[in-house]
Amino acid sequence: MDFPLILNISMFLTLLILSSPILLPLLSKNYQNSPTTIMRTVKTSFMASLIPMILSIYSNMENTTFYWEWKFITNFKIPFSLKMDQYSLMFFPIALFVTWSILQFAVWYMASEPYTTKFSLFLLIFLIAMLILIIANNMFLLFIGWEGVGIMSFLLIGWWHGRAEANTAALQAVLYNRIGDIGLILCMAWLASSMNTWEIQQHSSTNQTPLLPLMGLILAATGKSAQFGLHPWLPAAMEGPTPVSALLHSSTMVVAGIFLLIRTHHMLCNNQIALTTCLCMGALSTLFAATCALTQNDIKKIIAFSTSSQLGLMMVTIGLNLPQLAFLHISTHAFFKAMLFLCSGSIIHSLNGEQDLRKMGGLQKLLPTTTSCLTIGNLALMGTPFLAGFYSKDLIIENLNMSYLNTWALLLTLIATSFTATYSLRMALLVQTNYTRIPSITPINENNPAITNPITRLALGSIMAGLLITSYIPPTKTPPMTMPLATKTTAIIITTLGIILALELSKLTHTLTTPKQNVALNFSNTLGYFNPLMHRLSSTKLLNNGQNIASHLIDLSWYKKMGPEGLATLQLKASKISTTLHTGLIKTYLGSFALSILTIILFTQN
Amino acid sequence: MNPQAKLISATSLFLGTSITISSNHWMMAWIGLEINTLAVLPLISKSHHPRAIEASTKYFLTQAAASTLLLFSSMTNAWFSGQWDITQLTHPMSCMLLTTAISIKLGLVPFHFWFPEVLQGSTMTTCLLLATVMKFPPITLFFLTSPSLNPTLLSLMAIASAALGGWMGLNQTQTRKVLAFSSIAHLGWMTIILIYNPNLTLTAFYLYTMTTSAIFFILNTTNTLKLSTMMTAWTKIPPLTTVFMLTLLSLAGLPPLTGFLPKWLIIQELTKQGLTIMATTITLLSLLGLFFYLRLAYCATITLPPNFINYTKQWQINKPTNILTTTLTTLSILLLPLSPMVFTVS
Repeated sequence: MDFPLILNISMFLTLLILSSPILLPLLSKNYQNSPTTIMRTVKTSFMASLIPMILSIYSNMENTTFYWEWKFITNFKIPFSLKMDQYSLMFFPIALFVTWSILQFAVWYMASEPYTTKFSLFLLIFLIAMLILIIANNMFLLFIGWEGVGIMSFLLIGWWHGRAEANTAALQAVLYNRIGDIGLILCMAWLASSMNTWEIQQHSSTNQTPLLPLMGLILAATGKSAQFGLHPWLPAAMEGPTPVSALLHSSTMVVAGIFLLIRTHHMLCNNQIALTTCLCMGALSTLFAATCALTQNDIKKIIAFSTSSQLGLMMVTIGLNLPQLAFLHISTHAFFKAMLFLCSGSIIHSLNGEQDLRKMGGLQKLLPTTTSCLTIGNLALMGTPFLAGFYSKDLIIENLNMSYLNTWALLLTLIATSFTATYSLRMALLVQTNYTRIPSITPINENNPAITNPITRLALGSIMAGLLITSYIPPTKTPPMTMPLATKTTAIIITTLGIILALELSKLTHTLTTPKQNVALNFSNTLGYFNPLMHRLSSTKLLNNGQNIASHLIDLSWYKKMGPEGLATLQLKASKISTTLHTGLIKTYLGSFALSILTIILFTQN
Repeated sequence: MNPQAKLISATSLFLGTSITISSNHWMMAWIGLEINTLAVLPLISKSHHPRAIEASTKYFLTQAAASTLLLFSSMTNAWFSGQWDITQLTHPMSCMLLTTAISIKLGLVPFHFWFPEVLQGSTMTTCLLLATVMKFPPITLFFLTSPSLNPTLLSLMAIASAALGGWMGLNQTQTRKVLAFSSIAHLGWMTIILIYNPNLTLTAFYLYTMTTSAIFFILNTTNTLKLSTMMTAWTKIPPLTTVFMLTLLSLAGLPPLTGFLPKWLIIQELTKQGLTIMATTITLLSLLGLFFYLRLAYCATITLPPNFINYTKQWQINKPTNILTTTLTTLSILLLPLSPMVFTVS
């Protein structure tokens, strides 16, 4: 069994199947795409992608690289270098599985839309770009994938482009991603000039890499993965349709930043400043997002902030020098986050477009499958033992507790974990329990297999994925084996505390107390006042400065004060001063003559 | 004025000028200057107007002081070197005092204060005399003693004259005062080149005299003493105002008119001597003069009431132009192509 050959071939098969909906219509007029055919393509591709994954696990293979140079002209060779290691081979099936489910769901969700084929095609192109990013071995291909997902994100968020908020959100996504791209291009430029290569395996990992490219990489991750500072685009991206939110902004695109840091981890691992930056920024992001999620009323926004919080957690893991654990969390997080989004999509469509939690309730009896999967997803998110989220999240918190790093980061992460439990429970309670607050006539219907099949499939994944992945992929760094009981059960205890807090708070809803203005609530609800401050303040300052420079500096000072008018004013002043000196009194004149003569004589005597 | 008195004054004027120009001995120079001073006094005060009397008094006081200084400097030089030759002025103190004396006589800054008021107090023809003929003997003395004079002092006075002439001229509405300050500015140009090429000083002086005389004659013909009068001067003799504009621009030193020649040659000589900063400074300062010349030209030629031109000219002419005006204006506008001839003649 020639494993590398079969692995390569099956990988190419996967990619070929995936790109067939784009290529085949170019070849013959008869072949027309439709959402169902695209979904089936992705399903086939998923099946094909299982082969390389199983082969690599079975043969204990570390890494296979494929390299082809496109000799464009003599001196300009474009390198196509694909890296098939545990990360990319594991991510392929997961991404394809999730995308398959989402596309199946989108067949139902976007049924009443015009251009559903275009929608599915956009999702497909996005997926291809993401997979290019994952499988890239050099920064060139990675950058292509990076920009590709950025563009597709823009197109997909602004899908309903007649809506002004959707356009603003899409633009916001592009702008914030662009700021991150500066970091990526900085790193690429530094690599090209210092190491003369963009190939990831040629980057030296033993030396200390200087801080500049690492900061560039961290900036890129901040932009793409919505860390604190460049985060507002992620909640705003909820303007896009739910399948878009499920695919892009939960499972795949937003993890691209973290994935970049995983790929370039060999450069980061020796630089303590970069690691600490990752750690602290991740901790801050996770807590901030969790705080904001506590008081949101839109169901999709809560899930968006939960995504943001988990991304912060992934960044914390990178900061702990544990890339494999971060990847594990990416993999498990994809399942339950996509499922949460699909459940919310089902709820929204059933309630005829209602997204506000305060107008939902008692849906457990009305939408049994959806709400059960919602509960499973929330439990997985909270890190319930032996569901998918537990394997990654609990490990992260154990490692965090047992490391010699920042206590502040640890504290923030723990608080964020408890908040996760709180807002998840809040969402679950408000959606499913108590008397219903929905309007009387709603098109509640989940009998369509297009809804239930993807959701249950993803639920299966949320339960089993963690176990499966950790069983077959051994850790490259030894996890902490022994620790005190309290440390071992920290995650559980904190989660339980969060649940108890949520339950206590939910009792307030029974008592009909009038809500008061609360500083903390205002802070949390308005997302920390970040959006109005940054968006309005920076742009007004910049534009005002520009106007000042243009009109005051150039027009006023150069033309009026110093240039032509200034010269004229100066001459006028001199003229007036000299006129007043000519008094007409002869005595003064003769006196001035005498004084001048005296001065001249004195000065020229040497 | 009494014809005989006028005759004596005019004759004495010419006598004094001739004596100074042709003298070798300092005494003769001083005699000539004193005769000039005394001869021109009745000419200034002939109208017996208080302003004229005041002008003549100022003139007398300053010129007398200047002549004294001149005599003092020549005596000091005679004491130290034992000879009264004009070209052999060697003692440094004498040179200094002589420079100041001649500056007072000419009207260079800082000794110029008398000049505008004296011009304002006299009639247009007397102004002409004061601005041209009375400058001739002192310029001659400068020319003769030029090797021994202090360059720094002369340069300073020259640039200050150009500056002050420009700035003061901007603020005037009386034409005689404007021409007084223009005279001061041109004296600055003449003085700056004295050390390096005295011939250029004389060239500049001759061309300046020619142009200024033309201006004074035109102003006399149209009898414009103020800018406001100048705005209706075109009604008297329209072609004269056109020529007036061109003569003014020649005075400003605009090519291709004659007045460009002295400025051009002076700048060239200064640059050859390596004094580019000085050349630049004095050129920039003469831009101020250009502004008020343009203002005069504007008032004279460009302001017209919205009437038919044939019906607005005066039907009678008080003072017809004489042949001298014509000659001088023609020369002052068109002499530039003949510049080699000018150079060799002077």
